[in-house]
Amino acid sequence: MLASASFVGLLIVIGLPLWWKTTEVYRVSLPYDKISAFNTQAHFITTELTVLANDEKTAADVAELIEKAFKDYDVLNLKITRGILPENLRRSLDSIADEQEAVEEVGGAFDLTQHNKMYVVQRSPLFQDVWLGTERVVFFRDAKAADTLAKVLKQWIYEPTVLRGARSETADSTRRVRFPPGEGYHVVLSVVHPRPQDLKVELNAREAVEDYIGSFVDELDMLHNFTLKSQWLYLLNFDFQATEVKDESEWGRHFAVREERLHVLLTALEGRAATQVSDLPTLNLALYILPCAHAPLIIYDSENKKVSSPVQAFMSPKWGGVVFGNPAPADCGHTSATTPTWSPPLPLIMGTFIAQLRELLGITDKANISGAHVEALRSVTPRRWEVDTLLRLRTLEQLAAAHHNLHSLAQLLGEISNIVINDEVGASINSAVTSSESAGEAAARGELLAAYTTSLRAFLAAESAFMEPSLLALLYFPDDQKYAIYIPLFLPIMFPVVLSLKNLILWLRKKPQVEAKEKTD
Amino acid sequence: MWIRFRKILLLVSITLVYVVADDFKEEIFIKPLPPTNLYVYFQFITQNEETSFEHSHLAPRSLGEIMSRYQVDELHLTLTEGQWRHNKWGYPILDASSGAELYAWFSPSVTDVDTHWRKLSATLSGLFCASLNFIDNFNTVTPQMAMWPMGAIKVNKNVTSQLRYATLPREIVCTENLTPWKKLLPCESSHGFAALLNSRMIHNTNYHSIGVHVRKICKVEDCSEINLEIKQTVALVYDLKIINSLDWSFRKLFGQGLPGPCPLSSSSKIYVDVSSNDTFPFKLNPLPDSVVLSQRGGSDTTLAIYNIIPTNHMINIGAEYGTKDKVLVTIPPPLTFNRYVLGYGKEFGGIVTEIKNNYWAPIDIVLLENAPWWLPIQLSSLRINGEAQSKLVKSLYYSPGRSRQKPYHLELLMRLPSKSTTTITIDFEFVFLKWQEYPPDANHGFYIGSALISANLPTARNYTSLPVTGSTMDSIINASKPWYPAIFRTNGAMVSLPTPDFSMPYNVICLACTVVALAFGPLHNICTKELVLKAVGSPISLRQKIMNLFKKKQD
Repeated sequence: MLASASFVGLLIVIGLPLWWKTTEVYRVSLPYDKISAFNTQAHFITTELTVLANDEKTAADVAELIEKAFKDYDVLNLKITRGILPENLRRSLDSIADEQEAVEEVGGAFDLTQHNKMYVVQRSPLFQDVWLGTERVVFFRDAKAADTLAKVLKQWIYEPTVLRGARSETADSTRRVRFPPGEGYHVVLSVVHPRPQDLKVELNAREAVEDYIGSFVDELDMLHNFTLKSQWLYLLNFDFQATEVKDESEWGRHFAVREERLHVLLTALEGRAATQVSDLPTLNLALYILPCAHAPLIIYDSENKKVSSPVQAFMSPKWGGVVFGNPAPADCGHTSATTPTWSPPLPLIMGTFIAQLRELLGITDKANISGAHVEALRSVTPRRWEVDTLLRLRTLEQLAAAHHNLHSLAQLLGEISNIVINDEVGASINSAVTSSESAGEAAARGELLAAYTTSLRAFLAAESAFMEPSLLALLYFPDDQKYAIYIPLFLPIMFPVVLSLKNLILWLRKKPQVEAKEKTD
Repeated sequence: MWIRFRKILLLVSITLVYVVADDFKEEIFIKPLPPTNLYVYFQFITQNEETSFEHSHLAPRSLGEIMSRYQVDELHLTLTEGQWRHNKWGYPILDASSGAELYAWFSPSVTDVDTHWRKLSATLSGLFCASLNFIDNFNTVTPQMAMWPMGAIKVNKNVTSQLRYATLPREIVCTENLTPWKKLLPCESSHGFAALLNSRMIHNTNYHSIGVHVRKICKVEDCSEINLEIKQTVALVYDLKIINSLDWSFRKLFGQGLPGPCPLSSSSKIYVDVSSNDTFPFKLNPLPDSVVLSQRGGSDTTLAIYNIIPTNHMINIGAEYGTKDKVLVTIPPPLTFNRYVLGYGKEFGGIVTEIKNNYWAPIDIVLLENAPWWLPIQLSSLRINGEAQSKLVKSLYYSPGRSRQKPYHLELLMRLPSKSTTTITIDFEFVFLKWQEYPPDANHGFYIGSALISANLPTARNYTSLPVTGSTMDSIINASKPWYPAIFRTNGAMVSLPTPDFSMPYNVICLACTVVALAFGPLHNICTKELVLKAVGSPISLRQKIMNLFKKKQD
């Protein structure tokens, strides 16, 4: 019996560790408890708002109303400071007619360059209830404008619903349009010229991109790195299946194309635009120059109505935008023997591209609010408070994405035992966890830029850990192969040993009884 | 008035130059290779004015993106199926080793060339759907003497260290490589000469090779400004014997006529080498626009030139031969070569390279032998015409390989005497691979890549390559030079490595486990069971009772 006990013992001491060691999948220890403790919904951003009014009561009323308006949104922690306008500033605000100058006056007294800090300032001679420019200043007329003011703050500036959408797992309408967060983007302008033999196009794509798009993205350089590129695609013929419609215009006709047909154009563009060679996500901007024989093209929407805008264009969410270049009849004149030349109206076309870029990067359209006025964009650069909104939005989105990735990875590791986690992946998971913790803290403290950069780091680390190809190293190693090697060896050994267990147990049970008997004897 | 007009003219010309900053040209060169073959060579040249790759006009952005990301100064990629027969066909315009061949010079600012090289090959593999991602350090060499950049580089700079060269002789080239290749052209395949490249027709040829060559060329005489030239080439060799008629036409060769020039090209020309008209008379139809006699390095070439302009109908250029079935004595080109594998069994072997100088003067060559790590060649076994110490070798470079890390690399600078054959032999031994290192279908054999022969030919006989400074075909007209540089690829070879039975590991496991099982059972029994005498009157167990029952029934 001791012999069979020693067999069992040997099997347990040598066989089991051997089995364990050889079938083990390498995994670095991970902070599972921290990952499972993540609560994406708990993140919020602290932001500062200073209310400056002519008298104490107005300031208190306005601040109270704003506080009430934002009470339901836990995603935003509004820190409101109240104050009375300094006497000299109030006087100059009342006397200056031009709003832009008034903003400069405020800028002289307060620091407007800080991200995450808005000023709500009373200005009596205002024509509207609320006025909003490009700087971080909102003017309001009096205490009666407080409701409009709250609306402006909610729908234009802070957009808590969009922030909430960025934090949640389901995509809201703005998230469906904008690009997923990232370290950098390529912006590629493709000039599509289907019939170069019939029309010469005078356009310097390089200068157009650098002048217009360059000055737009320069303002967003704290968010992403942008690389500007341009290319020409010739002879890309696309059948719009357009129908010719007679009208009163210069051409005496236009070609009507249905909105549903346009998305097929993207497939044709994608085949030539060489987007796949970039190492970063690409924002595609395509200028499709219509051949004279098919100009002008006018898009009809799903309700069969003309899209009336000076430039015909459409946008594809998360891909980019297409603008149609419609040459005028004068440009297509066939009187001369040489090929006609057309120079596209650059400001109009590039303006459309920038409007598309704004949405693709996450800047929302501002819906009308009665009584409120937002200064129209004069230059291509985004408004300062829009950049702040974007920073808040991306911080929350990146944090949520990082958490989501880590959660999924942890869940996968629990479900699939074959996934290898090597040291590198382990390190990036750990760094993602620590960065996301510190980003959450920075956001709660209201340090917007720091929160953004650390959350970006967390997001990138989580993404790279989740996408690491080494995770799959053993994924396709089938279990039956493992058994094919171990079963022929272990089964013949296990059989006699396991069968002998019965005897061993009987013997072990009997032994104390025998001893007891001996003792009684 | 005149001054004003000139000002306007100046303005117009400036804007014109500005608009057509890039230049695209397309050319076809057709040369009958008597008796029965026909060489058709396409080249599409894009000259890029922009020095930055971010903004492209006619040049493909995808290629520019790759060039700039990995800081490549010069790039040559060819994908070839078939073998060019130098002794029968003469020399091609651009030689290529069969399979995939990639070499590149990186910018001098690149310090970690190997990493850039690996990334470059991996990216190109995605772009051209070729298995270039299998290029790694273990099949890459840095040629020391055999290769020089084709483009404009600064002299007195060591460019050799920035060069990497690799071949994949097993690569099979097909439609999936041609389609992405066509996408790099500004006119794609809808217009221009590329419309002729119908994959159904061109993959039926005896030899086809597609290539992309990017280099820097001088824009002005003193090379203070540099342009980028992207040249895309297709070389085809048809065997007209198969269709039993020497007459050829575009419709026969490509399945369709030429629809006209590419609207973006500044020149679309077709050159037909009609020098063989004297021995094999043929008539071109339609007649060429001009015929040019080119005297180059002591050999005369007559070129018929077609200048293709936009038309409404398909252009179908063809040739009709007069007399048929003539016996022809071909004069071999000045330098011919052959390569084969020696040995039998699975232990030792050797590679033999025979180089024949048919010219009346000695020719200097550099021979580059590049053996994979699993075929170790030893320098001690190098024999030239059977001698270990040969006077022919002027310089020698040998870099031994390392298992799974580095290939064996031998370079010889030799002076081949006039009218002679030189045999270079080097022995190798076979190596056992790990079972995972065998390719699928291991019994097919293993390919050894071509050897490179870089020569400065003293004569232009059978020489069709463009001069280094030229980029279009018209640069070969009367381009006499003291010598004519060329890099040839010999034929590849194949060896059969000792290949195991791949089910062996499982058989071994099964056998070993059976033995263990057979041994363990009795051992366990002997150790744990003991023989116990059974008392006579002891109670009978249930089993015994049943057995007894059976016994009784039998009785």
